Amino acid sequence: MMPVPRSADAAILRPISVGEESGIFLRLRWLIASSTLREMLRTSRLRLSLVILLSALFWGSLFGLFYEAFTFVDSLHAEVISLLFNAFFSSLMVMLVFSTGILLYSGLYTTPEARLLLTLPVRSETIFAHKFQEAFWFSSWGFILLGSPMLTAYGIVRHAPWPFFALLLPFMVAFVAIPATLGGILCMAMVAWMPRLRLHALSIAFGAALLAMIGLAWMALATPRADTMSAAWFEQVFSRLSITEQRMLPSWWLSSGLIEAAARAKDGSVALHQTEALRYLAVLISNALMLQLVGRQVAARLHRLGASQLVSEIPTRRKRRMSWFDEFLSRAGTARGRPLRLLIVKDLRIFRRDISQWSQFAIFFGLLGLYFWNVRVFNYQHSYAAMIGFLNLAVVGLILSTFTTRFVFPMISLEGRRFWILGLLPVNRDQIVWSKFLFSFVGGIVPCCVLVLLSDTMLGIEPWLIALHEVCCVVLCAGLSGIAVGIGARMPDLREISPSKIASGFGGTLSLVISSLFIIAVVLVTAVPVQLRFAAEERGFASTGWTAADRGVALGLTAAVVLGLLATFLPLFLGLRAFRRLEP
Amino acid sequence: MIAFEGVTRSYGEKIAVAGLDLTIPRGELFALLGPNGAGKTTTIKMLVGLLRPSRGSVRVAGHDLVRDPRAAHLHLGYVPDEPCLYEKLTGREFLWFIADMFGMSKAAAERRIEAEIANFELGEFADDLAESYSLGMRQRLVFASSLLHDPDVLVLDEPMVGLDPRSVRIVKDLLRERTRDGMTVFMSTHTLAMAEELADRVGIMVRGRLRFLGTVADLRARATVPGTGGPAVGAEPQSLEQLYLDITSADGGGAPP
Repeated sequence: MMPVPRSADAAILRPISVGEESGIFLRLRWLIASSTLREMLRTSRLRLSLVILLSALFWGSLFGLFYEAFTFVDSLHAEVISLLFNAFFSSLMVMLVFSTGILLYSGLYTTPEARLLLTLPVRSETIFAHKFQEAFWFSSWGFILLGSPMLTAYGIVRHAPWPFFALLLPFMVAFVAIPATLGGILCMAMVAWMPRLRLHALSIAFGAALLAMIGLAWMALATPRADTMSAAWFEQVFSRLSITEQRMLPSWWLSSGLIEAAARAKDGSVALHQTEALRYLAVLISNALMLQLVGRQVAARLHRLGASQLVSEIPTRRKRRMSWFDEFLSRAGTARGRPLRLLIVKDLRIFRRDISQWSQFAIFFGLLGLYFWNVRVFNYQHSYAAMIGFLNLAVVGLILSTFTTRFVFPMISLEGRRFWILGLLPVNRDQIVWSKFLFSFVGGIVPCCVLVLLSDTMLGIEPWLIALHEVCCVVLCAGLSGIAVGIGARMPDLREISPSKIASGFGGTLSLVISSLFIIAVVLVTAVPVQLRFAAEERGFASTGWTAADRGVALGLTAAVVLGLLATFLPLFLGLRAFRRLEP
Repeated sequence: MIAFEGVTRSYGEKIAVAGLDLTIPRGELFALLGPNGAGKTTTIKMLVGLLRPSRGSVRVAGHDLVRDPRAAHLHLGYVPDEPCLYEKLTGREFLWFIADMFGMSKAAAERRIEAEIANFELGEFADDLAESYSLGMRQRLVFASSLLHDPDVLVLDEPMVGLDPRSVRIVKDLLRERTRDGMTVFMSTHTLAMAEELADRVGIMVRGRLRFLGTVADLRARATVPGTGGPAVGAEPQSLEQLYLDITSADGGGAPP
């Protein structure tokens, strides 16, 4: 029995049980969730509707894609489903270990909430359970969004009995809990015993796992160009994927359980298969629960120790000097343009020192580059290659738009909080807005143009079309930067300090929607005339000289440039006007 | 009520707190002073259980912060320099969360929450979300939450930052009243005037060591006539600020009396 403290009202205090602690955290979660939802319904209906609509679209598209794929695989190689499931789920399992570990690192140790909870009379294992639920949700929703259309499509193609669909969610949840808990245990052990490695080590391990999986996929799929999709190719791929079929892995329990749940005996009965499926589910659930117990024990022993180890970390002191590029940019050009250049140098320096910004930039553009590098594996027809080239251009634009919305859009709002600095400098407000635009435009144009060039080269696209794609790419970079900076200046949120919260507000959502519409418009007005030109060529209408189809392509390109000018200067004009009048 | 016994805390090769022996009895208001990097924050973090000592032990109401943190935390209230609140909870909901965590009965929690809301004049915004609070409002709410369970020991890290003069007065009056009732207060501050006004004893920490420990009157008694190095017998007393600067200067001060 724990002694109670001095209090005039001593009877008011008592140590509470684990169950009560969990109940308090559940109530806390409910209060926060309902408050967030209420606020979202009041202030961010557009964003909420977009999220629901886009999720439904994404789910529907994936379902369609998987439906076609399973129909194809089912008719040709029915026995390979197990291999595909095992490869897919084992890859996800590795990703879930690291993603949950990284999320729990932040939740258990680095947030202000973690420090608050450590000063309250609450058990470490309850704190772990509370933060684990959050990390579990954040790391598994992607899996559910990706896995549910896939497995639903599989069930429909296989004419699975209804229990298959009823068991999908329990199977997925029980499966995700295993790697997620392992990630949590790994995180706590690393922080307690290797605090100096902490997030860097987790990130490096995550990156290594990602690279290993890409390498595995590469090994499995890479074959000489002519052999792609042949029977030999399939055989080779399946033989390589068979290493993921390990009976001791949760991915195998999940795959086997799902296949059993969808199966019927020759006489149409399902009882035997369902029983087998339930056995696999029981194995998953019991392992998940056992790991939860281990996780709680580990938390009880290591959580406070790890938190203390992290507090003991001395921030590394690094003397930072001006890079040659910053030096060059600061000094080159006229004295009149110097304030503008200095503002750009300042933003560039912040970008370089903010790992979250450039690492996301590098990962997304790196993965895109890897994909573009890989398109050479497949054979494409002339017009088909052009179409894929335009789709790739749209993908580059969409990725850039997520960056302009997430990182460029909040820049003006964040400057608003530093008005006491900028307001006292001999810099006019227009220069601040223009510096953001130039920073985004120049920063985006180099990687985007290189990626488009890579894609087109790998697709074997003709030089004139490459040039057209590059012009479109420049138009997209300018337009997306104009939209993000212009709307950011027109609708700044000067009170918010978190860039992600600024980006997820109304202005950020509007910027993302307009950016997406702009990308679609630019790609459509240029792609349609080009496809028509190829269609005319294939039907033998093409001739030498300047044809009607060529005029169509030129007209499309002109329309794209006009759209680009509008998207760049109209939001900037509105933004500049609003920013000049802004009273911080 | 608070006992540091041979406490040393090092960060790698750097020693932040060296062999700290300090006992603070029930009902005393103790102010820890010192320049930046002196080890005050490390001491506070060890006292509230965020950091473990490398050597020695820290006890609150007889409970070791490392061996039995839950029991020690039941006796502790803590006001950090950067208040942490749940942004999507109202002030009242936050107070209920804290009251529940301390196992307060519903009736007692209701009574104490209303009392603290009144004490810190939180009524006007107690039902607004914390995300709309100013720094001063946040600080007042954290003060209220730290006193809800009527702790034996209240730990304050730079408590007056962000508070307006009226709130400062409320806090000062409250600290005097609670210490009279037997609560022990451990406060880290840079404000000499506040230490002089409120503290029963002060400790001046320099490079991880207590250079001075005693009452403000003791501190004044250490005043020296510049140039002589001797006690200021019959001489014009130095200002408290000058005394503090002498003690915390690179070659000044000495061992605790």
